[in-house]
Amino acid sequence: MVVTMPTIPVHPVEWDRASVESLAEHTLDEFLKSVERRALRMAELATLNRDEALDLVQDAMFGFVRHYAAKPAADWAPLFYRVLDSRLHDWHRRRQVRSRWLAAWLHDPQDAGIDAIAQAPDVSDPGPLLRLAGSEAARALDAALAKLPLRQRQAFLLRVWEGFDVAATAAAMRCSQGSVKTHLSRALTALRRELEDYA
Amino acid sequence: MNEQSQWTQQVKALLDASAHDLDAATLSRLNRARQAALAQRRKAARRWFIPAGLASACALALAVAIWHGRAGAPPPAQGDVVALAANADDADVGADDDDFYADLDFYAWLDAQGQEPPG
Repeated sequence: MVVTMPTIPVHPVEWDRASVESLAEHTLDEFLKSVERRALRMAELATLNRDEALDLVQDAMFGFVRHYAAKPAADWAPLFYRVLDSRLHDWHRRRQVRSRWLAAWLHDPQDAGIDAIAQAPDVSDPGPLLRLAGSEAARALDAALAKLPLRQRQAFLLRVWEGFDVAATAAAMRCSQGSVKTHLSRALTALRRELEDYA
Repeated sequence: MNEQSQWTQQVKALLDASAHDLDAATLSRLNRARQAALAQRRKAARRWFIPAGLASACALALAVAIWHGRAGAPPPAQGDVVALAANADDADVGADDDDFYADLDFYAWLDAQGQEPPG
């Protein structure tokens, strides 16, 4: 009986620089593809505006690729959401400043004709994505999530939806694990209260 | 599965559905955003290639210049090395010879003293 031994390559496969770069870019592309939809939903729940959400996700992608693409792929997800979280905070700060200016103008009798509140996004609006989802429960969830403070919503979405553990959630939110637990507990209580009809 | 877990599973399913049902225009914009981010990475990598290439070229030029400098003055052959070593020995001997020649008068006087009877 003739036993054929498996041939072992004498020389290891040599990767040239272009191949390594191409593989790295492919891996990065796949990662961004895997997170972009959830990132968009998170941004949309924060802004209640799809265009602004898309801009924020694009900014987050740019920031992540610029600063963290060289990190090990296993660390990418918390790092990406850290960048997105930072962009969402910036957006909220800008919006607060704008709201203060709008409030000041509202008290000006010369600008009485401008209804700034009517122009501000409606928090109870379910948003275009959940209208597409078409279910009453989904719409109620969207509205309940939109009502949550940013930190509570991020803690909930990262921990429950994204499936991060407490440590990864804390890393993404740049806060302590204790803070994550507090935010998450409050978010769950508020959501259960808001969605008790669907629980 | 407890009640809390069931509830979170329902929430996850609703969120997954909302992320899945994105329209083509939104998906296209996400795709463009992703490609733009990757293109920015390629551009950044190219920016590093220029100084790295220049540094490599300078190092190569320096190495070639040093190599040419050494090639201009050929290394000594084996015989030359022996001759050089011999010359070095000669140089030491030559130092002794100088003393010897300086003292020739003294030796001549000493010789004369030995041959002539003391007077």
